[in-house]
Amino acid sequence: MIEITIDEKKVFVETGTTVLEAARSAGIEIPTLCAHEGLVREGNCRLCSVEVTERGKTKLVMSCMYPVTREGLEVRTDTDRVRSARRFVLQMLADRNPKAPVLQALCSQYGVVPNVPENVEPELCIRCGRCVRACETNGTSALSFAGRGWDREVTPPFHEAPGDCVGCLSCAEVCPTGRITWEEKEGKRSIWGRTFDLVVCERCHEAYATAEQLRHAGSDPETARLCPRCRKMAQQERIRLGTRGA
Amino acid sequence: MKLTSLKAFEEWQALLSEREKGASGVRRVRICAGTGCLANGSAQVKAAFEAEAIRHGLSIPLEFAAESTGCHGFCERGPLVVIQPGEIFYEKVKPEDVREIFEKTVLRGEVVPRLQYRDPNTKQAARTSAEIPFYARQHRLVLNRCGEVDPFEIEAAVSRGAYRGLARAFSMEPERIVSMIKDSGLRGRGGGGFPTGVKWESARKAPGRHRFVLANGDEGDPGAFMDRSLMEGDPHSVLEGMIIGAYAVGARKGFIYVRAEYPLAVKALQQAIRQAKERGLLGRDILGTGFDFDLEICRGGGAFVCGESTALMASIEGRAGEPRVKYIRSTERGLWNCPTVLNNVETWANVPHIVLNGPEWFRSMGTEKSPGTKIFSLVGKVKNSGLVEIPMGTTLRTMIEDIGGGVLKNRAFKAVQTGGPSGGCLPADALDLPVDFDALTASGSMMGSGGMIVMDERTCMVDVARYFVDFLAEESCGKCTPCREGLKALQRLLHKLCSGRGEAGDGERLREIGSALADTALCGLGQTAPNPVLSVLRYFPGEIAEHEAEHFCRAGVCKGMYWPRIDPAKCVGCGACKKACAAGAIRGEPRAAHAIDRAHCVTCGACLEACPFSAITAVRREDPE
Repeated sequence: MIEITIDEKKVFVETGTTVLEAARSAGIEIPTLCAHEGLVREGNCRLCSVEVTERGKTKLVMSCMYPVTREGLEVRTDTDRVRSARRFVLQMLADRNPKAPVLQALCSQYGVVPNVPENVEPELCIRCGRCVRACETNGTSALSFAGRGWDREVTPPFHEAPGDCVGCLSCAEVCPTGRITWEEKEGKRSIWGRTFDLVVCERCHEAYATAEQLRHAGSDPETARLCPRCRKMAQQERIRLGTRGA
Repeated sequence: MKLTSLKAFEEWQALLSEREKGASGVRRVRICAGTGCLANGSAQVKAAFEAEAIRHGLSIPLEFAAESTGCHGFCERGPLVVIQPGEIFYEKVKPEDVREIFEKTVLRGEVVPRLQYRDPNTKQAARTSAEIPFYARQHRLVLNRCGEVDPFEIEAAVSRGAYRGLARAFSMEPERIVSMIKDSGLRGRGGGGFPTGVKWESARKAPGRHRFVLANGDEGDPGAFMDRSLMEGDPHSVLEGMIIGAYAVGARKGFIYVRAEYPLAVKALQQAIRQAKERGLLGRDILGTGFDFDLEICRGGGAFVCGESTALMASIEGRAGEPRVKYIRSTERGLWNCPTVLNNVETWANVPHIVLNGPEWFRSMGTEKSPGTKIFSLVGKVKNSGLVEIPMGTTLRTMIEDIGGGVLKNRAFKAVQTGGPSGGCLPADALDLPVDFDALTASGSMMGSGGMIVMDERTCMVDVARYFVDFLAEESCGKCTPCREGLKALQRLLHKLCSGRGEAGDGERLREIGSALADTALCGLGQTAPNPVLSVLRYFPGEIAEHEAEHFCRAGVCKGMYWPRIDPAKCVGCGACKKACAAGAIRGEPRAAHAIDRAHCVTCGACLEACPFSAITAVRREDPE
């Protein structure tokens, strides 16, 4: 454990902890968009900036990626430079995505007023890539970034319905803006131009997964009769009753 | 024949030097076969020389040799030919000139005046390249073999000293080489200027089973061709530097990352690697020392951002060429998370010279903080454009006025853009600035890889900023918010200013976005992307203000934001403007002052460009005709 200071507060952390985690452990809030607890960090939204002073040098870094490696690191999360850097990033994102609730909340907190330029169609995608990383983490990689610069976009390959998608909704789950939408009706789920059969739990009757999702996870949709929650409950009951079997 | 000991190499080297000396009586023609001269037909010139030799019954190569070499540097005047004995220099040689050159110069030692270089100012003809100011003020250290030897023949390079540095390096401990490079003060020639020896030391000390050395040959700045010329003209200098570097840091594998748009460089490097392997200078058990090192060429797919270190490594690894956040240095965790030394090709080519001549010798050139030389590509509105190697600390004025011969058409100098899209535009006041890493950075520009674009009074600085921002917005990978969205915002503002829709506050907004972008972007591309805009704001605030408030472009570049006006006192009625005007807006009788009819003028600027007497100027829209 090494000692660092964050906004004049002494904090003890393990070497290699990111400044973001160190700050959170001390109850200091730093806004983030592209970081997600279940995903590899990329540091691309640039919102979580903080100022660090190390060996006499002060610099602006992204707290989600900056590792604490040296005793005595000084972190400041609320300086003028930090605030103006965050305001800039928010302004740039909000100008293109003025209706994203997560941005609206942050903008009002930082006093940023979205100003959509002429000929720009408001969007909901902030290119944080959480969906892409989630899909990759699942081993499906049905989504990726295409194009570069301003034209960079999240899309399945060739803008076609992705053959590798299993309809698991991980992408929608991690999307911070609500850009990724899906539909469910008559026992089917549609997302990214694909339609999947839903598997219904025999016990709670909830449509809990798609058949492709179960197959991707290595189980057979024909025999997977219970949703994870009911399966757990059934297990508990069995333990209580001291019985074995399915 | 594979050389299996240092002694065998030395004997081979001595033999080749001897043979070179013995052949000094042979009549020789060195023909530039760099990309520029090849495009201008230098291959046909070479064939014509060989045909002439056969016609005159001279035996090739015992009595006559026509050699294709790498870039001579004076690309604008190509194809270039140098004849031995006498080092007689000819420019713009065509195949039909060859018979005359052969009969007069090769056979009789007489010069052909019409093919000689003439100083644009004094009209004095130059017999040898040493008499041309463009060459005379240069210090060709890294380029010493470039333009002198056939880049496709290892023997030619070795006879002129290639791999002698490597042989010397093998007689030293690796640590000694690292400290030599550190002591020499060599800094990265790719633009960053990071001390090379510090990089090497850190990689050498970093724990890890595998280490890599990489050469960055992904030169992408508009107007820059230093690295290309070096790789094409003397590939062995890059290889030698990398082998020494690998031995010093303990790497057994290296990659040269070259853009695919440089096919001749790739070909030259491939041939160099093959020949070096055949001779036992690369591969297993190099020169019998037990040291193994292999080199591979990796061709880039054409993304500018792949010149950024982490994106380059991602590209070699087979992933999309996008940068990653690096709070841990590449020397500790680089390619495949292994300790990696990445240097620019020019940096690598400096290494053999330092090993051979020592750090003190290297420090005797250049300035205290930026020792050595630097290669620049001097282009734009300058009389002599081409490849220039000068000691660091040379002033911009020497570069532009002496080596470059001044501004084309004797127009007024306005700015010089250094460092490519990451650099900035410096005004006339900065001409006495010494060219080194720190002076350029302090002035708001940067050394970059060494592009130097000269601009005259007919250049609109707002339009220049727009050009570079357009380039970068196109090349930004879009991974991080500031670069993706911020460059677009800068682009919108600059397009607005250049199309006469500027509003009060636009300049200030450019400054705000530019500085925030520099502070927050993920990689070097984004962090330096606002430099062209910020330097124009700093040095040419008047032009920004005119575009913003008056919708006026004084350079006569931005369409619809000026009227061209002919000064009747200066106009001699030559009719050049009338001929150039596609809209038929210019009236006037020969030898009488002409005038422009605004009703037909489309402000294309062709007349401003055409007038040889500077009689046409750009005036405000509200000014009288």
